[in-house]
Amino acid sequence: MEQEILHKCEQTLSLSKPLSLQTLASVRSLIINPNTSNSTLSLILETLTCSLQLSLPDSITRHHTLKLLTDLSFHQPHLSPFIFDSLRSDDSLLSADSLAALASISDHNPNLALHIDDHFFVSLCFAPCVSVRLWLLRNAERFGVRSHLLFTVFLGFTKDPYPYVRRAALDGLLGLCKSGVLEDLDVIKACYCRAVELLRDMEDCVRLAAVRVVSGWGQMLVAYNQEMRGTNFSDAVFTQLSSMARDMSMEVRVEAFYALGKVAVVSEDILLQTLSKKVLGIFKDKKTHGQCVADCFEISASGAAGAFVHGLEDEFYEVRKSACSSLGLLSVLSEKFAGEALNFLVDMLNDDSVTVRLQALETMLLMANCEHLKVQEIHMHMFLGTLVDKNALVRSAARKILRSVKVPNVDFFKLFVDGLLENLKIYPQDEADIFSVLFYIGRNHGSFAVCIIREVSQEMEPDSDGKLGFDGARVAAFLVLAISAPLSSEQNVCSIQPRIFSYAVTLLGRISCALSDVMDQHSLLAYFSQCSRLSSFSDSDYKGEDSSLHEVNSYSINGTSTEISVQEIGDEVSKTWSWIQCNLKDVATSQARCQLEEEDEISNSMNIVLAKVKNIWPLVQSGYTKEVLESLRACKEEVLTFSTKSLGSDGALAFTLQYIQVVKLLVKVWEHFAPMKKFHYYEVGELELLLGKLDSRLADIRCRFIGLSKEEELHVLELVLVSCLLRLSKVEICCYLTTLKKLSSTISHVEFLHQQGSIEQSKFVTEVKNSLLEIGTSTFDASYKPFLFNQLLESFFLNQLLLSGRLRHIKAELDVPDNSTENPVTFVSGLPVAIPLEIALHNISSENRLWLRITMSEESTQFIFLDLNLIEGYSEFLKFTYIAPFYKTPKAVSFSLRVCIGMECLFEDVHFVKVHGGPKRMLAYLCHEKEVYLSMASKG
Amino acid sequence: MAIECLVLGAGQEIGKSCAVVTINGKRIMFDCGMHMGYDDHRRYPDFSLISKSRDFDNSLSCIIITHFHLDHVGALPFFTEVCGYSGPIYMTYPTKALSPLMLEDYRKVMVDRRGEEEQFTSDHIAECMKKVIAVDLKQTVQVDKDLQIRAYYAGHVLGAAMFYAKVGDTAMVYTGDYNMTPDRHLGAAQIDRLQLDLLITESTYATTIRDSKYAREREFLKAVHKCVAGGGKVLIPTFALGRAQELCILLDDYWERMNLRVPIYFSAGLTIQANMYYKMLISWTSQKVKETYATHNAFDFKNVRNFDRSLIDAPGPCVLFATPGMISGGFSLEVFKRWAPSEMNLVTLPGYCVAGTIGHKLMSGKPTKIDVDKNTQIDVRCQIHQLSFSPHTDAKGIMDLVKFLSPQHVILVHGEKPKMATLKDRIQSELGIQCYDPANNKSVHIPSTQYVKAGASDAFIQSCLNPNFKFLKSGSEENCDSGSESTKALSPLQISDERVAEGILVVEKSKRAKIVHQDELLLMLGEKEHKVQFAYCCPVSIEKLEKATTKDLTPETNALVLHKCSLIQILSTRLSSELSEGNIQDLGEHLQVESFQLSICLKDNCPYRKIGNLQYKSKAVFFCCTWSVADEKLAWKIISIMENFDQT
Repeated sequence: MEQEILHKCEQTLSLSKPLSLQTLASVRSLIINPNTSNSTLSLILETLTCSLQLSLPDSITRHHTLKLLTDLSFHQPHLSPFIFDSLRSDDSLLSADSLAALASISDHNPNLALHIDDHFFVSLCFAPCVSVRLWLLRNAERFGVRSHLLFTVFLGFTKDPYPYVRRAALDGLLGLCKSGVLEDLDVIKACYCRAVELLRDMEDCVRLAAVRVVSGWGQMLVAYNQEMRGTNFSDAVFTQLSSMARDMSMEVRVEAFYALGKVAVVSEDILLQTLSKKVLGIFKDKKTHGQCVADCFEISASGAAGAFVHGLEDEFYEVRKSACSSLGLLSVLSEKFAGEALNFLVDMLNDDSVTVRLQALETMLLMANCEHLKVQEIHMHMFLGTLVDKNALVRSAARKILRSVKVPNVDFFKLFVDGLLENLKIYPQDEADIFSVLFYIGRNHGSFAVCIIREVSQEMEPDSDGKLGFDGARVAAFLVLAISAPLSSEQNVCSIQPRIFSYAVTLLGRISCALSDVMDQHSLLAYFSQCSRLSSFSDSDYKGEDSSLHEVNSYSINGTSTEISVQEIGDEVSKTWSWIQCNLKDVATSQARCQLEEEDEISNSMNIVLAKVKNIWPLVQSGYTKEVLESLRACKEEVLTFSTKSLGSDGALAFTLQYIQVVKLLVKVWEHFAPMKKFHYYEVGELELLLGKLDSRLADIRCRFIGLSKEEELHVLELVLVSCLLRLSKVEICCYLTTLKKLSSTISHVEFLHQQGSIEQSKFVTEVKNSLLEIGTSTFDASYKPFLFNQLLESFFLNQLLLSGRLRHIKAELDVPDNSTENPVTFVSGLPVAIPLEIALHNISSENRLWLRITMSEESTQFIFLDLNLIEGYSEFLKFTYIAPFYKTPKAVSFSLRVCIGMECLFEDVHFVKVHGGPKRMLAYLCHEKEVYLSMASKG
Repeated sequence: MAIECLVLGAGQEIGKSCAVVTINGKRIMFDCGMHMGYDDHRRYPDFSLISKSRDFDNSLSCIIITHFHLDHVGALPFFTEVCGYSGPIYMTYPTKALSPLMLEDYRKVMVDRRGEEEQFTSDHIAECMKKVIAVDLKQTVQVDKDLQIRAYYAGHVLGAAMFYAKVGDTAMVYTGDYNMTPDRHLGAAQIDRLQLDLLITESTYATTIRDSKYAREREFLKAVHKCVAGGGKVLIPTFALGRAQELCILLDDYWERMNLRVPIYFSAGLTIQANMYYKMLISWTSQKVKETYATHNAFDFKNVRNFDRSLIDAPGPCVLFATPGMISGGFSLEVFKRWAPSEMNLVTLPGYCVAGTIGHKLMSGKPTKIDVDKNTQIDVRCQIHQLSFSPHTDAKGIMDLVKFLSPQHVILVHGEKPKMATLKDRIQSELGIQCYDPANNKSVHIPSTQYVKAGASDAFIQSCLNPNFKFLKSGSEENCDSGSESTKALSPLQISDERVAEGILVVEKSKRAKIVHQDELLLMLGEKEHKVQFAYCCPVSIEKLEKATTKDLTPETNALVLHKCSLIQILSTRLSSELSEGNIQDLGEHLQVESFQLSICLKDNCPYRKIGNLQYKSKAVFFCCTWSVADEKLAWKIISIMENFDQT
């Protein structure tokens, strides 16, 4: 049979006639038959190739022959390179048909890259056949055609009379924008303008593609024009896109709203206009041009008018959802806009689609995270409704917002708590999450929580039979609220009655389970015992009661039951946190003990080192700087010899290292102030540099460690005070007012901590406080006395720092895979370049605001916000790949960037807006700067 | 050819919509409504204007009804059965189903309650409906050889449609009433981007811009809840169809959520029947209803019951939906008379009431006494809540639709005169579209697109098969100044498709028009190509040249004996230093920059010399310049350099 068919083929071919379709069909049967021998197959290959050369005029035979060759390569992958080469080899044979065959072969075998001649590509595109044109445009990027040529072809074909060709051309342009290879401003403008024209196309699919192109190239235009009138362009792009919100096609509307969210800079007026269907006053004065299509750079307020109102009212939930999500992204840009948007957003909580409700809540969370969520009374009804929503996801999303919301007054706070209790009543399965939320909002609004607890304290007391209604979820919820209050950062928080903490101990398992993300069971227990005991001494009413002497039975740690007893410890008020921590070792189960022990071992060793550090202070004061520095170096080396086995203890190590570094800097600075033993020459500005370093190290230590005890925090804060004083006492460097502000805010923080922990104030702190009061009352001129601050410094003494708690270190790792000077990332100057980054984050929580800093030179720094909400999964350790765009690529053959991850220091109240769109607060950097090498993409 | 639009009703008013449009000889009547505010002959459109001889069958190609509201369909049985029109009538399926209900209801009210002479009978209605041809959305119907029509979804009420009509090359859209935002039960209007000569649109809310409907819903619910919580009765006068269902969905939902037990009543069988239609015509409702329909039909109201007349005076709170909407008579008036005197009760009013109805009186300031007729006067003490829920689009919606469709002309109907004028101005100034607002019985003539059939030459067709686009740089030289005026400079690169541009339309006497390729034209006409060449004889001050010469060349050379070539040379060096663009070629005898050519003119009377330059005569050397159109700008630049030779 095989032979017969082959023979027939040869015969036909020898007559230089094309193979008949029938013969081809039988050849096909041979190809798909798995038993056909290899020799036959190669003969078939030969025959088909032969026939291909003959069958040029007959396109049907040719088409089928090519199809057979493709089939052959699928069934016999080892033959595919031969087939590919034979098809590829003869340029005269190359046609759209064979190109399609080649493409499908190379789809299956990625090693075979398909490149065709630019000229050939163009000639095919310009041929009359529309389907070929369409196919070529869609696949244009795989042929390795020069991008400039591609751009010209794409741009030209946006004029094609066939809508699908226009769409393919627009899609191609979008692809080019993403690959980022074009640099000429005129080119960008031309492409953008053409896309704007096509926003008015007759065909839905073309308009859809045009929206994407306007968004993509518009962003490029804005990036390119950042120096000059950047906002103008950005506003123009924004209004163009928002005019599409009223398109008749649902897909176009969805795309338009997503595109709106991507616009990075928009002026507030335009944003507000999108929430009002009426054209706002400020735009009315401006001249409106005649035709709306006249100019693609015109900012037309009427186009933007009410875009979001329409979007949120849309018939299709897809549109409503995308409008909601864009609202969130844009509300970051303006607080006023966020406020207005919220009025519309709350109505979306009543939407019948769960997706939309969830998206609306997510948007509100985004607003809350950037502190643009201002809750008003009219919103409350809708919002509280979501807490008892039928859908569990919606409820959980609503609670998530509560965690970060700022409540303006106690009435709202009550409403929220009531809402949560209602939620708890109807859906008991949410208990853990509700407790956690109660804890958060209590901590954020300490005084409000105290108010509530006062009102309901009766409910929490044992009834007449002496039975406690602790098992009731409601009481448990109040207990959680109560225990959260003292942790509040607010001042003037009246203390909670200590009995309540002892009640809370009975629910330790339940509470600690809910609060697992905040603190572990041990610290929680320690906290309870401390509060229930310590406060009792400050409050004489309860002194006699043995409330702190509670036998607490049968609560479980890690599933096993243990009996503990908290014993009364005289009136050693000063012994606090650390002591309890030590004692806890005894009560912990063996499993937990193991880990604790290791941690403690590290802590202890660190404490030994820290003691050494403390000992150097007298030396510093007497001016033995050099010696001191040497011993500090020794300390550092000692710390470095510890290697940590468990994850939990590396925090302590890192903390100690950082601390030593701080002390080292402090010593170096001190040298400038101390009465000099020897006469030194210092470079101008050296002191300022050192102080700057000291400040940033201190900021690091304050915000990069989670779980600092009050003592530790106080210690660090004292050092901050010292650094402020040092600044203030040098006339030439201090920025008087800023530093003074920082000093007073630090002092009040210190004071607050003292009250909280009932820790005695050091002499130093008291003195600083007193003199600050003095300064505060006098006027600026009179008060500026550097010597005063200098005097204060004398009272400072470096105490020993005692590490106690389990510290967790916030850090990040940053890597650029496969990047070196030999293997740089390619870029095209003037266009954004994508830098792939591998990022690993340790101990980051969703509250942290992370920024990516990309530095090219001293002047050119770019910040990118790392939105953790976009990254799947939350844990102590997070690893992901992030593609960072860098916009201002220079006109250079190669250059390097330094990339670093920073975290906003939340304690820093001084807002400094350095870069537009950058972080608002000081950044603490979480990793070393990583250098990225880039080089210009070679043309051709 | 042109379109003629005769407005028989709803011209600068609301009520009895009726427009007769003549397109290329075809006459279509859009809507055939009656005016609810009148009892006399003004109730119906003046059909005699269509045809003096009353031969309607021959003067109309078809009637198109957009939706079942009486002001759009009310006069139809009268027109077909009494006036005798028997041609085709088109409407959508739901309109065909619901129109007879409305008409019958109206007839009953007129005859039974008011004791009027009936204009048409039940049989008339039934007969009329037999002539109706139902159409589906987006179904293209060929009415006759030349006329095709197509319906698009309009929102507004169940089955409402906008109609597209096309005769030959002329196309238009009549919107009827429409809504651009979705409501609880209907979607938003939806139409394709069409090429239109005329758009006839309603303009009920020509100047109002409504805020989000969510807030209005909230207010309505609050008012109703407050009233029933206080033991009051709520009267909601509505049209039986449309708003009643929307409000009912809203209330039913709310009742469910708030766990309310107060009864909601529907007044008449009509509404119950209408609800049944709604349940069947799910595909005409909004996306929301369609999506949930599989699990729960939104029109299966859980809390709604039938109302019995005896319940009017029953104690306790309730909510009642009653027809007609504007309290112009019927059951809603009856109930209003009983309930209006109590402060506890609430009457909600629709967004629009025709002048002359009680609804209108209540809306225009809160009266304490209302005269229902000559003998009856009612004390009005109840609360009044105005529902601005309207199934009509607002001004922004109209603008959005006009902008989206971008027709050549717009005619506004179905609105109040002063507001329509405002909207007309807006459309003309903001969108640059010609707009009209004719009064009743006036007609508007507008020009329409006309296509000429032309043959195409083979060469032209051949060249059209291949794409051929060009990039143009335009306007980058002028307007380089910064600021907002430089808009032109911002769009430097433009693409144009040359395919059509290469064609030339040839219309010869008594021959069919033909398009040929530009290359063919000369051949066809047997003519040679002509080119336009400019010439100018430019004087250059010799003194200055001398100075330049003595500086640049050898000092002893006398200016008078200067060789031509050296003069040219000096010019050449000068030009190349001052001219940024163009390639300057010194060809000895003359100078060439692109197509610009320059040589010394030795003639005393050069025809290209300007006579005004006499003062130069003694000291000037003349240069004859020629150039073609393309380089005009360049040429004048060079000439100005030469003329100002002595100023630098």
